[in-house]
Amino acid sequence: MAIDMSQFYQVFFEESAEHLAAMEGLLLDLDVGNPDPEQLNAIFRAAHSIKGSAGTFGFTDLAETTHILENLLDRIRRQELGLRAEMVDAFLECGDLLRDMLEAHQGRGAVDAAAVEAICARLRQLSSDQPAAAPARPAASEPVTANAATGGKRRFNIQFVPTEVSAKGDGVKQLLDELAALGTLEILTQPVAGVHDVGYWQVRLSCNVGQEAFADQVDFIADNGAWRVLEDEPSAAADDAAFGFFDDSPGAPESDPGYGFFEPPGEPVSEASAVAPDGDGYGFFEPLPDVVPAPAAPPVEEGEGYGFFEPVATLPAAEPPAAEEGDGFGFFAPLPPVAASDASPAVVAPSPAVVSAPDEKATVEPRGRASKASPAASASDSSIRVSVEKVDQLINLVGELVITQAMLLQTATQMQENAPERLLSGLVQLERNTRDLQESVMSIRMMPISFVFSRFPRVVRDLSGKLGKQVELKTTGETTELDKSLIERIADPLTHLIRNSLDHGIELPEKRIAAGKSPVGTITLKAYHQGGNIVIEVGDDGAGLPRNKILAKARERGLQVSDQMTDQEVFNLIFEAGFSTAEQITDVSGRGVGMDVVRRNIQSMGGRVEIDSMLGVGTRMTVRLPLTLAILDGMSIAVGDQTYILPLSYVVESFQPQLGDIKTLSNQARVIQVRGEYLPVVVLHELFNLKPQSGDFSQGIMVVIDADGIKAALFVDALVGQHQVVIKSLEANYRRVPGISGATIMGDGHVALILDVSAIAGMAKSSVQKAG
Amino acid sequence: MEAMTQTGNPTSDEDLVANEYLTFTLGCEEYAIDILKVQEIRGYEQPTLIANAPPFIKGVINLRGTIVPIVDMRIKFNLGKIEYTPFTVVIILNIAGRVIGTVVDSVSDVISLTPVQVRPAPDFSGSFDTKYILGLATVDGRMMIVTDIERLMTSADMELIDDASASS
Repeated sequence: MAIDMSQFYQVFFEESAEHLAAMEGLLLDLDVGNPDPEQLNAIFRAAHSIKGSAGTFGFTDLAETTHILENLLDRIRRQELGLRAEMVDAFLECGDLLRDMLEAHQGRGAVDAAAVEAICARLRQLSSDQPAAAPARPAASEPVTANAATGGKRRFNIQFVPTEVSAKGDGVKQLLDELAALGTLEILTQPVAGVHDVGYWQVRLSCNVGQEAFADQVDFIADNGAWRVLEDEPSAAADDAAFGFFDDSPGAPESDPGYGFFEPPGEPVSEASAVAPDGDGYGFFEPLPDVVPAPAAPPVEEGEGYGFFEPVATLPAAEPPAAEEGDGFGFFAPLPPVAASDASPAVVAPSPAVVSAPDEKATVEPRGRASKASPAASASDSSIRVSVEKVDQLINLVGELVITQAMLLQTATQMQENAPERLLSGLVQLERNTRDLQESVMSIRMMPISFVFSRFPRVVRDLSGKLGKQVELKTTGETTELDKSLIERIADPLTHLIRNSLDHGIELPEKRIAAGKSPVGTITLKAYHQGGNIVIEVGDDGAGLPRNKILAKARERGLQVSDQMTDQEVFNLIFEAGFSTAEQITDVSGRGVGMDVVRRNIQSMGGRVEIDSMLGVGTRMTVRLPLTLAILDGMSIAVGDQTYILPLSYVVESFQPQLGDIKTLSNQARVIQVRGEYLPVVVLHELFNLKPQSGDFSQGIMVVIDADGIKAALFVDALVGQHQVVIKSLEANYRRVPGISGATIMGDGHVALILDVSAIAGMAKSSVQKAG
Repeated sequence: MEAMTQTGNPTSDEDLVANEYLTFTLGCEEYAIDILKVQEIRGYEQPTLIANAPPFIKGVINLRGTIVPIVDMRIKFNLGKIEYTPFTVVIILNIAGRVIGTVVDSVSDVISLTPVQVRPAPDFSGSFDTKYILGLATVDGRMMIVTDIERLMTSADMELIDDASASS
């Protein structure tokens, strides 16, 4: 059954990224002193789900790292270990690395193997610290419970499958010798000699020491997870003897601590394709719901094997990628929501069996299916994953519909009296419907801004720790929706603004106390709608921007400044490239790169950024963005017989010039004086080689534009109106045209080109420079 | 010209496979292009001018929401009278993932040609470079210029594509 797993990779990547994000969010929420068990469980489940699916898809690096992570989490949630702040740090770091791995598997970036090693070691270390209760080995996920020292002999039931290397060498023999040295050793099961060297061993050891004494040795000869140690104590295994590496359905609450990994009896399980014929006590079973359940019959250890059964999936199941025979564990495809009927009795029943007969098939322990089914099911039913392309296609079609509708309406109005009443009312109805349709289609692309905001608690936490500041992040309006493409692009600029607030805004606690403020600074992140825009505010109650320092710095850099400039203008100077007032450069910010990039990024999205600040009180950066990238507020202007769209955000003012206003420089470049400033004049019909309606300056209109601080006066024939236009790419089927940033379709179905204001302003500047 | 009729002797299986071509006229010349490259045929409408574009690029039109550049082949190759009548036709081509419209005098027919029927064109120089000509074919006594429309439209000569993405 060769199924191309790669087709599911994308889903896996997305899901894992979501789990990682969820895990991070929960970790940040966690109250270290008094963790909520529910949250711990949820974190554990996220790690567990990632591990399970990573294994299924053969991403062993992911699976192994999450495995270690999960083990530590598991111990914490069972309160074998106390949660400490450094653990949270380690978890977060581990999450970052996992994310890197995911990226690397998607062909982006590379994973730092040393860092992975380091974090694994750190997690193991954390896990082995504080040997409060029982087991010390983290890699084992050993189930032994807290009844550690009972005195007297302890009996361990050790099960393992040696790796091929150690099985072929004398590793197993050495292990048995070492175990025998600790106490009485009894071999319960061993593989048939010679048939297959790799096989399943089960030994019983009675000794005085804890399992820490020999767990290392066992781990040495068996792969991670391919061994386990059970303490034969009635109470020991009761609730968590079995362990496994099996997947949950994502987000499924796992109510019983002993999680088993077997299909509940009654589910048809076929092991047809899988079992290694030579007596490995486990097999990989393909789930084939329609296959007759076959009795599990691994040749040697009947039924004992921890089997690795695929949960019955809706997809034809994946072949477990771990083809290595002899690895005692399998990876299961994520379990889709299963009908929840066969639940609780089954959960309870197998538990005692584990105690008395760990080597019986009774280890098969269905999980608490009832509890997991409902949330997972409802979550997956209420949303669907659709490719952005399909949505965009839909949006395009609706855009077409709107244009067609406008054309119809225009035609009908031209008919005036002759238009039948019913046609007109029908058209009005159509107009309303198309508008509603357009709105709802547009809303498909809308996502709550919490997708961006959710990463900031982490940023603030890490940075404030690094800078020795105490900062609280407050967010409001996370449900404000904006276009998905904007969400992706706003994240970096916002991160930068927040880092900036943290580094330059918020003062150190001592300084804050001296200034009579609370030592804990506050950064507020606010999002809301205003008109056709979305407004995102990043505010802090820090030191505020030092006006004088900025002015001094600006003079130093040779910028044109005067003391009469408004605060707003002064503050805007910090968006100049290379501008930084930080006394010293930190690795957080201060190099002077960044704010200019922030402004450029925001402007490229058709938005703008403003600063308000008061010395000693705080700073507020306000980012205004259009609701969607696809729509632009434009002013339509006429030049000759053509109509162009001028993005409204660049327009400062427009006026009718007098003939004498326009002066020439060396008889070439023209300038016009506007409010004491000489601006270069760009005559649009000359630029575009069009025949103007009138060559006379006094007959046309001057539109003053301001693109990134470069001002120019654009001479056009007339202003036509103001529209919201849908931006279409010219480059999709044609090529870049200088001075044009895109195209749009007007209400009459004609194409109008959108002017690239920055390019035009640049042209004006260079022509003046040439002339001057 | 003996082997150029439908009864010409096929030399291999491949030669038996006939391809369909759309034929159109530019002035008094007839051209044939691979019909699979044709998306649709529509009447001419006044496009929106593009500033500083070469004269044979008439501008862009709105084709159901897509911005499509319009090329007038007659201007490019100096063929026939450049006039726009109700019969002037735009062939919308789908080439290299792009949609491009081209103005022609009229669309005549859809014909089937097997590779044997397409004869190599003699080498000549002119504005219409022979590298864009797959060959010449005769159908009912009319000569068709079988054109590699994809190569032509994506060539740097047509200035339709940014240099970076140009392929030839």
